[in-house]
Amino acid sequence: MIVWMFGIVVLLGASSAALAHHGTAAYVTSSMVTVKGTMTDFRYINPHVQLYFDVKNDKGEVEKWQAELTAPNKLARAGWDKHTLQPGDTITATGYVAKDGAHTMWIRALIGPHGEPLRLSDE
Amino acid sequence: MRRGMSIFTFGMIAALSLSTALYAQTAPPPPAQANAASKPGPAPVHDLTGVWMMHNPPGSNRGFTNYTFTKDPPELTPWGQAKYAEAKPSNGGQFTLQTTNDPVLTRCDPPGVPRVYFHPYPFEFVQTPKYILMLYEYDHIVRRIYTDGRPLPKDPDPLWMGTSVGHWEGDTTFVVDTVGFNDKTWLDRLGHPHTPDLHVTERFRRVDKDHLELDFILDDPKALAKPWTATFYYELRPNWELGEISCSGDYLDFKNFEGK
Repeated sequence: MIVWMFGIVVLLGASSAALAHHGTAAYVTSSMVTVKGTMTDFRYINPHVQLYFDVKNDKGEVEKWQAELTAPNKLARAGWDKHTLQPGDTITATGYVAKDGAHTMWIRALIGPHGEPLRLSDE
Repeated sequence: MRRGMSIFTFGMIAALSLSTALYAQTAPPPPAQANAASKPGPAPVHDLTGVWMMHNPPGSNRGFTNYTFTKDPPELTPWGQAKYAEAKPSNGGQFTLQTTNDPVLTRCDPPGVPRVYFHPYPFEFVQTPKYILMLYEYDHIVRRIYTDGRPLPKDPDPLWMGTSVGHWEGDTTFVVDTVGFNDKTWLDRLGHPHTPDLHVTERFRRVDKDHLELDFILDDPKALAKPWTATFYYELRPNWELGEISCSGDYLDFKNFEGK
């Protein structure tokens, strides 16, 4: 299930430093995409926490997605640990996707398995 | 990411599936901030102890502080201009990780002073009788700021983070002078260059208990036509502890970041 959001996306107060150590050139940052998927792997690692999940597209096919959050030290201060997400969890991720069409996302907002928004920073 | 990052205003929303746009509803504001500063108060005397995080004043739009010191570029010497032209930074969005020559991103080089302040992580002051330690969360960087009255070395060895001495001016301003750098680091994330003659002055002004203002003076006559000055702003994080963010193989595994 994929919901594409085009057009004007205005982030109020968003920091461009979120993906701080490497650039944003690989991502389309003029618009955001939201996908709902089922976690297959969760890697709580430096420098950026990685999510792998399956997304069923509108043809009923399963797409393999990879997405990254910010750094684990930042997420820890927002209450995360290596068990926060697990395979089988349903998540809804909103963010920027790769310019090259890869199923790769830089996550800017995340809904967790119980329908709750997950804090991505203690800032 | 700051408070409000989850507030989106969406324009056209086209749903390509049967789904409604329910998922476009993004997260409500986060719960009360755990990092909320404690009660306001005056700055303590000769004490910077604690964890500090960059925190630009309310209402300011200092996006450039993610990449460089000032909105306007510094005045470079001809040597500085030529060197800067060689820089291929990724953080401005012009270059990808495959094409950048950023020494931190491509080699995990230590960031040097002052570039260490462009990593979006906190730092901590630990005070001892002979020196003040600066612990930067990014890559476990440590600086020793000697406060035992020794002078700056006249002929310093080249180091990534330089050699630093510090002294107090009045009750709440700590002044740090640093010399003795190698020439392998960038001053900022755009690639502004320096030479081994770089002299960095940092004036940490604790304006009240929870706020620290840091004035930089970057002096390097071979690279900068005149000293480059700027002020950065920090806020105390009484409930934070430094964690681990390490430059490592994963850090340089560009496949993680660029898809495919």
